[in-house]
Amino acid sequence: MKNALRMISVLIIVGLVSGGVLVCVYNYASPLIQRNEEEALQEAIFKVLPGITKYNELKKDGMTLYEGLDQKGNVSGYVFIAEGNGYQGPIRLIASLDKDLSRLTGLEVLESSETPGLGAEITQEFFKEQFRNLPVLLKIAFTKGAVSKPNEVQAITGATISTRAVVEILNLKIEEIRSVFGK
Amino acid sequence: MPLYKEFTKGLWKENPVFVQVLGMCPTLAVTTSAIYGFSMAAATTFVLVSSSFVVSVFKRFIPNQVRIATYTVIIATFVTVAHYFLKANFPPISKALGPYVPLIVVNCIILGRAEAFASKNSVVRSLADALGMGVGFMIALVILGGVRELFASGAVFGYTVMPHWQPWVIMILPAGAFISLGILVGVFNLISTRMKR
Amino acid sequence: MNLILIFIAAAVTNNFVLTYFLGICPFIGVSNRLESAFGMGMATTFVMTLAATVTWLINHYLLIPLHIEFLEYVTFILTIASLVQLVEMFIRKTSPELYRALGIYLPLITTNCAILGLTLFVVLRNYAFLEAVIFGFGAGVGFTLALVVMAGIREELEFADVPKPLKGTGITLIIAGLLALAFMGFGGLISS
Repeated sequence: MKNALRMISVLIIVGLVSGGVLVCVYNYASPLIQRNEEEALQEAIFKVLPGITKYNELKKDGMTLYEGLDQKGNVSGYVFIAEGNGYQGPIRLIASLDKDLSRLTGLEVLESSETPGLGAEITQEFFKEQFRNLPVLLKIAFTKGAVSKPNEVQAITGATISTRAVVEILNLKIEEIRSVFGK
Repeated sequence: MPLYKEFTKGLWKENPVFVQVLGMCPTLAVTTSAIYGFSMAAATTFVLVSSSFVVSVFKRFIPNQVRIATYTVIIATFVTVAHYFLKANFPPISKALGPYVPLIVVNCIILGRAEAFASKNSVVRSLADALGMGVGFMIALVILGGVRELFASGAVFGYTVMPHWQPWVIMILPAGAFISLGILVGVFNLISTRMKR
Repeated sequence: MNLILIFIAAAVTNNFVLTYFLGICPFIGVSNRLESAFGMGMATTFVMTLAATVTWLINHYLLIPLHIEFLEYVTFILTIASLVQLVEMFIRKTSPELYRALGIYLPLITTNCAILGLTLFVVLRNYAFLEAVIFGFGAGVGFTLALVVMAGIREELEFADVPKPLKGTGITLIIAGLLALAFMGFGGLISS
């Protein structure tokens, strides 16, 4: 009996001390983590929308869109973040649209865990380049052969799933954006 | 046994990776480059040293029946600390190591040292032992990471060593990790037997 | 459809052992005989499915509502350890036969990183409840598959003339590498 009591009290004390330590660490780390995330976001926005000097955050119906402004204060484009599941895990993208929301103007991959050498090629310039100035009034499509339509991109050899994931993530989000923010 | 030997045994004679074959998941998973191997080993060493310290200080108060549960909570606490520290101060490294930082909790090296050494030895000896094992783990991870990075990109720690190298994609793939480590273990055994003669 | 995809991905194309390196310790330790490999695989599959289910519930009904996600690792590892203990007691009481078959493997499972890894992946990938359960089961099946294939090869290997320094761990790792390459071929399964 005495032994059992001792066991339980030791476990409780260990649990409490552990919880206490973690609360302190969490309180120390969470503002820093948040700052890192904000900095990363800022950097990514300036990367997909070069030439802007500042941006505003627009929120509507639970969706966030970043409005990029040039030196004179004119809108030069919009940036959005989209995510979905790829072949090996989540893919997070950041992309920019022109001011009519009719063309993609840039794409960067924030996060992905696709297979190196195959799916991970989505982070390569040759792949992202295909999305620059891609019209999005029609849904984006992909092909395994040569590109024949203006709204098509070429799939990465051996990584059709990753290509499709990127295309579908973009299509879904762009449609939402156009229905919420479009005029 | 002299104190310095508690430290040095982990480096070669009882190297956790090459000899004891412990802690394999992080060893294989994060060693796509030397710097990731180094960061992972640093985080592991931190957890190993801190938990060995705590276990050896409080060994008298921990009842035998619940010792494993207690050790696990202690280890998990330090792992969470390491995880948040990396996330707050080194976000790119934290992102690259991904779920393998939390997996330090189940790295058999740590629970193994707590159970086999820290719970039976003095604080100073436990610290020397944990530090030695940590450094031994680091040596293994940096060598493996370096070899894989070298053949995958012609660079080590990001510095190009072999220009115009045709990258071997297999070295960053899981298969490359297994095969490189297998060959390294073989080389290690070869050197060990030569040295004994 | 999505559930089938999750199952196949967890079991074959993204096999826990061969692509995420989770559960390597038992993979190298228990894979020298076919029979024990199968027993270990079964026990692990059982605990994995259970662990995925229970930790999902804990995460969604306890940690997230109370905003104490930073206790995730501590809670999960304790949950897994107690689950293994409960399963062991339950099996010993209800089915002595099953206990004889799986019993000795159960304590080893607590320190199998594949289980904790699995529960962390479930959180990371935001799986819904049913997806999490299927993911856990698939991962277990994949673990068993890798273990059994490996054990089959190693039983044959006993008669092979392996260079001395590579005997044991070395050659096991190299074979695992070749297996990982072979499993990459399954990637085509989910391509269109």
